[in-house]
Amino acid sequence: MKRILKNALAPVVIAGLALSLGGCASDPSPSAAEGPLTVWVMGDSGANFESLVAPFVTETGQEIEVVAIPWDSIDEKLTTSVASGAGPDVLQIGLSKLRSFADAGALLPLDDLLGDYPGLAPANFPSGVSGDATSVNGEVVSVPWVSDTRVLFTRTDILAANGIDAPPTTWDELRADAKTLTSRGSGQYGYYIPQWDAPLPIEMTWSLGGDVIDSDGNVDFDTPEFQDAVDMYTGLYADGSVPTNGDFDQTQGFISGVAPMLVSGPYLGKAITDGAPELDGKWQASLLPAGTSSTSLFAGSNLGVWANTDQQDASLELLEYLAEPETQLEWYSLSGELPTVSAALGDEDLNSDPNVAVYTEQLASSKVLPLVSNWDSSVGTELLNALNAIALTGADRDDTLAGFFAKTEGLGID
Amino acid sequence: MKGAILRNRLSPYLFVSPAMLLLVTFGVFPIFVALAVSFTNMNISAFANIRNVKFVGVDNYVTLFGDADFWQALANTGIFALVGVPAIVVLSLAVALLLNRSDHPFFRALRSFYFIPAITAIVAISLIWGYLYNTQFGFLNYLLSLVGVEQVQWLSDPVLAKFSVALVAVWRGTGLNIIIFLAALQGVPKDYLEAASLDGAGEWRKTFSITVPLLRFAIFFVTVTTIISWGQFFDEPFVLTDGGPLGATTSVSIFLYKEGFRMNQFGYASAGSIVLFAIIAIITVFQLRARKADDEY
Repeated sequence: MKRILKNALAPVVIAGLALSLGGCASDPSPSAAEGPLTVWVMGDSGANFESLVAPFVTETGQEIEVVAIPWDSIDEKLTTSVASGAGPDVLQIGLSKLRSFADAGALLPLDDLLGDYPGLAPANFPSGVSGDATSVNGEVVSVPWVSDTRVLFTRTDILAANGIDAPPTTWDELRADAKTLTSRGSGQYGYYIPQWDAPLPIEMTWSLGGDVIDSDGNVDFDTPEFQDAVDMYTGLYADGSVPTNGDFDQTQGFISGVAPMLVSGPYLGKAITDGAPELDGKWQASLLPAGTSSTSLFAGSNLGVWANTDQQDASLELLEYLAEPETQLEWYSLSGELPTVSAALGDEDLNSDPNVAVYTEQLASSKVLPLVSNWDSSVGTELLNALNAIALTGADRDDTLAGFFAKTEGLGID
Repeated sequence: MKGAILRNRLSPYLFVSPAMLLLVTFGVFPIFVALAVSFTNMNISAFANIRNVKFVGVDNYVTLFGDADFWQALANTGIFALVGVPAIVVLSLAVALLLNRSDHPFFRALRSFYFIPAITAIVAISLIWGYLYNTQFGFLNYLLSLVGVEQVQWLSDPVLAKFSVALVAVWRGTGLNIIIFLAALQGVPKDYLEAASLDGAGEWRKTFSITVPLLRFAIFFVTVTTIISWGQFFDEPFVLTDGGPLGATTSVSIFLYKEGFRMNQFGYASAGSIVLFAIIAIITVFQLRARKADDEY
């Protein structure tokens, strides 16, 4: 539950208190290695996670307290817990937040510890997942947990009924198909753009052959490929192919067929399977539409150990358990989030599902967002504000983009 | 003897000291902390290492006044106050006058009815209103569809969202103020009204020439507290729209919250909070000065 802070001074009060208490918060108490391990999982999958770790609890006798943090209050939770020194023992970290968490000193550097835990060795994971995607400034601060990539979901039955034989493979095709599907009638759309999905324009830029980081490691959106991505994004709105209300429900929109195409992660597949089993065989996942390549987002989550934890060993044992291929496969069936361990990713049963085959193929050509501090809340927010202003309120395209370039200029990875 | 005198002199201070201590700790001290922090570049990396904090002088204030988002937040707060303050004052006064006309159990039940929004948790309120406002499935759009009106984007249209959010806040804010006005109405002397009746004054005349003028202090109090609360307007836009769409419902408080808690720029957020504090203080002092002395009655 979000904390409602009435007082405008509250951020500052906490900061001020943290300053004065900093001294006492940082010395870990030598004893008290007992008690439950607190684990923060992101999103609403707390109950699933509890059943996932139940065998571990039975086997080791180590109690585990699972706290589910809603995705949109992670920043607040991080700030308050770092400031108060009262964090969990183990926590899930979305890749786009890794840098902020590490900068805050919230994560325990793991370089010297991983040697004792063979299950967590980088060699167990695909190289794109384990290397830079787990470390900040050359220090390993996390281990891979789940893979998330973005693919195109389509309602094949609706597409076929409108004369479209196969899901679009390029963005231009997608735009044309979306237009066709929108012409089904009033209140019907062809495609859905979540107004909060900051990575989407970046996936578009990548798949159109561009990048958002220049050769010096600085954020740079002023490229022809990004301009093309902007035209695609705003063009879909200009065609009337996308619902303009911010409270549109993507799962409901897909199941009801109001918006029969969208880009999302494997968990959407899980939500459709669970929520609308009658649609079985009437929808499918396919690779992200391409311009020059079909490069998608790798937005996995990692697990880290809280810097001030007094239960280091127990925490790492839990991470080791969670990195076992069987645990990761179990997690996929519980939550629809793909494994990261190579052994689990290559599992035959898993890959017998054609949609999973698409996910794993897409994972092979996915990239992580640049590890810039505050990526989500600064660059991501500015990006969405600029694009939505053009698309929703008809703001001048070039002026808005110029303002956006100016705001993000000079941000770098270092 | 001397001890007793000292005790008598000290005892008032002894009685107010707990309250003062709390006020100083949680009211005054944080303002000075904020003031100090506002001259630094403090961000979340300061938690990792306190040496990451640097003194930057008035840089934060210079950036703040050049920040289009801050001006938008100020303008939004101004609009909210301009719409919300008169709405709440007039509406609660009108309802209070009506409720005060009878002591019938039905009217007493109505009083609690009007007070319910003020004591209901904002999260519950936002859930309900979020469903009412929902573009596809919302009750309001369902009602409108019955008379053939197209879907209205209550919380997605930048202009309309301001009013949708303000409406919830007005609905929530009237309850408490109605109670204040009702209490003040109890203090209006009956003999004034009886005398006016004998002189042949009608209901409207009595209300506007006797009751409302005698409520002057209550109106003043409600106005000042309402202005302050709109200046710190936070809950409704935070839970209903998170300041969106495109910053259309971002009040200054939400702007500060985002800068502080999402962007982790504590120095910058502190500078903003000092500016907000100054604005509210100036407006309040100005109102206190402008107020004429109360007539005794």
